[in-house]
Amino acid sequence: MIDALHPNGAAPFSVEAFSCQKAGNARSEYEDAWAIRGSDSPTRCRVAVADGATESSFSALWAALLVESFVRGRIQGPDFFTRLGAIRRLWRRKIRGRPLPWYAAEKARRGAYAAFVGASLNAVNRGWRAVAIGDCCLLHVTGNKELAKAFPLSRSEEFGSSPFLVGSLKRPGDDPLPHVRVIEGVLQQDEILFFASDALAAWLLRRAEKGEPAWEAIGPDAMRTKEDFEALVAQARDDGTRNDDMTLVRLMRRAGWEKDAS
Amino acid sequence: MYSAEISRKNPGCFIFLLDQSASMEDPFGGSSERRKADELATIINKLIHNLSIRCAKGDSTYDYFHVAVIGYGQDTVVKSAFDGPLTGKDLIPISELANNPLRIEDRVKKQDDGNGGLVEQSVKFPLWFEAKHAGGTPMSSAFKMAAEMVQRWVAEHPKGFPPIVINITDGEATDGDPVPEAKALCSLGSDDGASLVFNIHLSSASGNPIELPASDEGLPDKFAKQLFEMSSSLTPFMIGRAKELGMPAGDGARGFVFNAQPVQVIQFLDIGTRPANLR
Repeated sequence: MIDALHPNGAAPFSVEAFSCQKAGNARSEYEDAWAIRGSDSPTRCRVAVADGATESSFSALWAALLVESFVRGRIQGPDFFTRLGAIRRLWRRKIRGRPLPWYAAEKARRGAYAAFVGASLNAVNRGWRAVAIGDCCLLHVTGNKELAKAFPLSRSEEFGSSPFLVGSLKRPGDDPLPHVRVIEGVLQQDEILFFASDALAAWLLRRAEKGEPAWEAIGPDAMRTKEDFEALVAQARDDGTRNDDMTLVRLMRRAGWEKDAS
Repeated sequence: MYSAEISRKNPGCFIFLLDQSASMEDPFGGSSERRKADELATIINKLIHNLSIRCAKGDSTYDYFHVAVIGYGQDTVVKSAFDGPLTGKDLIPISELANNPLRIEDRVKKQDDGNGGLVEQSVKFPLWFEAKHAGGTPMSSAFKMAAEMVQRWVAEHPKGFPPIVINITDGEATDGDPVPEAKALCSLGSDDGASLVFNIHLSSASGNPIELPASDEGLPDKFAKQLFEMSSSLTPFMIGRAKELGMPAGDGARGFVFNAQPVQVIQFLDIGTRPANLR
């Protein structure tokens, strides 16, 4: 199943989200999460994408808690990752009390993990700031369909199968701060911010590195419907991309909004 | 090669071979109290334990792997080593194994409390295998039986990740040279590569553990060198994963360990994103 938020005509930003579970999995087994808040706000908009790790249990819940917490909050910097106490307690409460067989209980005791990227955009000066841990990516593409920034990973070969991720349990010696990346930019007219989970981001970067069209394929002209996204995911998998959940959020400035607002 | 996805639709296959011969009653690693059979039981129980947890998802288990355990030695025969409700079973999905241990012990373990501290918690500790030691060491026959299983598996999963056979032994075969049988097994495989053989050598000799060596230099005896020769080279992914897990794997590393508990070996196969900080 694919979701798409339709652009809000009266908003400074147009934001759309597309998602697809692993081939062969049920939709209920999708472990990425995305959240958007304030796309129609005249002041700020927040977007987040998280990717729950396959090798942890209840990671879809953890990914969802992370993105919701980010978009509902106001923190823009690395301290987002040091103030996760409330959602960690919520995660534990949701798990506690379930009658689990021994292996499920032991796995849950090890916590859930997710990669995360979240950005805050200022609707007035079009500045944006993003934080990330792991391999969910933000891709800033110019009006000329060129990649201006890829964050926190910028080359396809940087993606591995064992990144440091955000955990649902706070562990001694597991300080997230050395692993947090922060970046800032300005979104000019006709530019796009994409937020992608790892497998999709790695494939797009690989295509771009080979000189193949990447950014056009996920732009608003080429990809409008869930069927378009499904076709893109199928192409990525045919191209040898790891079978993984795939999520894409596309954020653009709405043309003429400043004029409408003034 | 060695890149086939491991999933519930395309499961991986582990076949463990357990030396249950009389010589396994001898002391382990120069210890006066611990026997090689005790060490073997600890290793196989830990491997199954970790594999079960690795495949746990939510409140159930995903059958990413099918597992067989062959014992050789008791009455000098080769047969399924499962006891209890699994007696006599061949290759079974990991969920069947996880749900049918021989017994479950309650143990107290220090765990993270989730807020940065430690707390003592009662945890369930399942056991599938007891220490056993009797009869000769028909290791060559065990490899033959494993080869038959591998042949069936790859016929049913021709595009799947090739099976991995892990032999745990003190290395003293009594039914002939096991090297040709191990090589014959490695000649079988799927479209994704040849089957892999790893060996865990439990010796009475004391000395430092050796993990994943690239040559047989420095191995302590002829049995260790023979088991090294029978062991497959690790794939590049496995070498990378072993390094991530703190094991000393270099180029040309083979799936051989001496007097060590390589429980990380079940992490050598990729079933999806594994957090670097998951412990």
